[in-house]
Amino acid sequence: MIWVALLGPVITLLTHLSAGQIASALTGPGNLDPLVTSLEAGGITLLVLAGVCTPLAWMLARGRLPLPRVWEAGLLCSLLLPPLVIGLLLVFMVGPYTPIGQFLGWLHQDATNTFLALVIAEVYEAAPYYVLGAQAAFAGVDTRLEQQAGLLGDRPFRVFRRITLPLAAPGLSMALATAWARAMGAFGAVVIIAYHPFGIPMQIYTTLQETGLATALPYALVLLVVALPLPLAAYVWSARAERRRRG
Amino acid sequence: MLNADVEVDRRDFTVQVELAVADGERVALFGPSGAGKTTVLEAVAGLVGLRRGFVELGGRTLTATGAGPVAVPPWRRRVGLLRQDPGLFPHLSVQANLTYAKTAAPDAGELAAIAAQLGIDGLLTAMPARLSGGQRHRVALGRLLLAHCDALLLDEPFASLDAALRRTLTALVKDLVAQRSVPTLLVTHQLSDAQAFADRLAVMDRGRFLQAGAPDAVVLAPASRRVAELVGYLGFVPAGDGLVAGVHPDRVSAGADPARGLVVTGTVTAARPSGAGWEADLRAGDAAFTCYLPDRPPGAELSVTLLSPPYFGPDGTRVVSGLKVR
Repeated sequence: MIWVALLGPVITLLTHLSAGQIASALTGPGNLDPLVTSLEAGGITLLVLAGVCTPLAWMLARGRLPLPRVWEAGLLCSLLLPPLVIGLLLVFMVGPYTPIGQFLGWLHQDATNTFLALVIAEVYEAAPYYVLGAQAAFAGVDTRLEQQAGLLGDRPFRVFRRITLPLAAPGLSMALATAWARAMGAFGAVVIIAYHPFGIPMQIYTTLQETGLATALPYALVLLVVALPLPLAAYVWSARAERRRRG
Repeated sequence: MLNADVEVDRRDFTVQVELAVADGERVALFGPSGAGKTTVLEAVAGLVGLRRGFVELGGRTLTATGAGPVAVPPWRRRVGLLRQDPGLFPHLSVQANLTYAKTAAPDAGELAAIAAQLGIDGLLTAMPARLSGGQRHRVALGRLLLAHCDALLLDEPFASLDAALRRTLTALVKDLVAQRSVPTLLVTHQLSDAQAFADRLAVMDRGRFLQAGAPDAVVLAPASRRVAELVGYLGFVPAGDGLVAGVHPDRVSAGADPARGLVVTGTVTAARPSGAGWEADLRAGDAAFTCYLPDRPPGAELSVTLLSPPYFGPDGTRVVSGLKVR
């Protein structure tokens, strides 16, 4: 019952759509461009998170940073701020008249209303979810196993590659899946700093404003269909890894 | 040969010990929980830093403080550590665990030989989660042997296993240590484990060695009242001239036999079956102690003989024929 109740909006979405509506909404010229934009921005966001935030999460989990509570509080601040506010603050941070904005201009880049801006907005919306999830995944790896691997001759990076990463991988994949879902659905910060190019959430918003709910809903379905496989795959892979460990 | 002189700061006290373990020798560090035994192993393994001292293994300096400090990282020490939790890598098969170390011999012959010797040759494709406690310890032991460590550090490795399995594995490790001829340190708070395993016993309390020697010598002739308490003396009875005699419950004979030791007569305050015999609580004057007897105490009054008990002076040191033992 609880599951059905939680699925209420999705069920409502499915019951309010017909095949004709979906076809007419998605077959127009350029109608799938927002989908491509969202996928590309989401993919790059995941790469950035995996590359930059994974070491941060590991350091947090292993207490390698001074004043760890301060770092964690910083992450929570990002999580607590409404995405809309994050978008506003990003304007002040990377807008064209800021030092960062000017530096980007020098590189012929712009962090407002560009693809880069979309990625930045998605990274800021999704990063706390990934870091906190990855931190928990690393914290779940017994440090004595890492010590044992070290005593068996592995240097720290090799220990990380052979022990820490494989053991944390199910948790990391779940954290990535959560971050992916957050990035694909990012709207609050995006609407402020990256109105263009349209990703799917922006497409839903503008379509709703211009032509109404009936034409906006098919995009919501597309968002679900496209964004769901990765988290599902993460769940399946994570469960398989656990089964494999249990022999 | 393992030589170490280590000083490690802990929150409540400083661990300060010197030890020398010859190749093939088995030394047990015995003491109560929190005595600093594991800290010594971790200092040798390079898992904790020294405030002062050195660790040398097979002529290599692994740690040295002072001028020209040395700190060989754990992954280059070639020291094997086996803990109570065998620490198998849960995502790797038994075979992958066994051959994990870079120093593990690449030929399958040694793997097969050690797996057969440890009785795990039929488990090579299994995952650790499928193994029993004893099998896990065997795999962990095999992993250390295949890694060709220069020293073995055993931190209460079999404490969670039942007595029979513990005996079997202890005998197995003794054989393997003899074959490999590596210095071996065992940490335990079970005297029986230390006695079953070690050539030499070092009694440790609050970061210091109180006494070291052959296991039977330490138990029969504890250097101080504190050592006596740690090795199982459960009571002390006045023996005249300000001395007290240590009562080890296993070294009490029913009846008065002055030729064999000190005769004590007391009141039985409680008696209960213990194994194949009886455990009795006796009170003699102000002193109370427990002893094991072959038969149920016949009455309320009982004379027992403490077999060659150690005597301790008022300052707690052992006294032999009027001489204090240092």
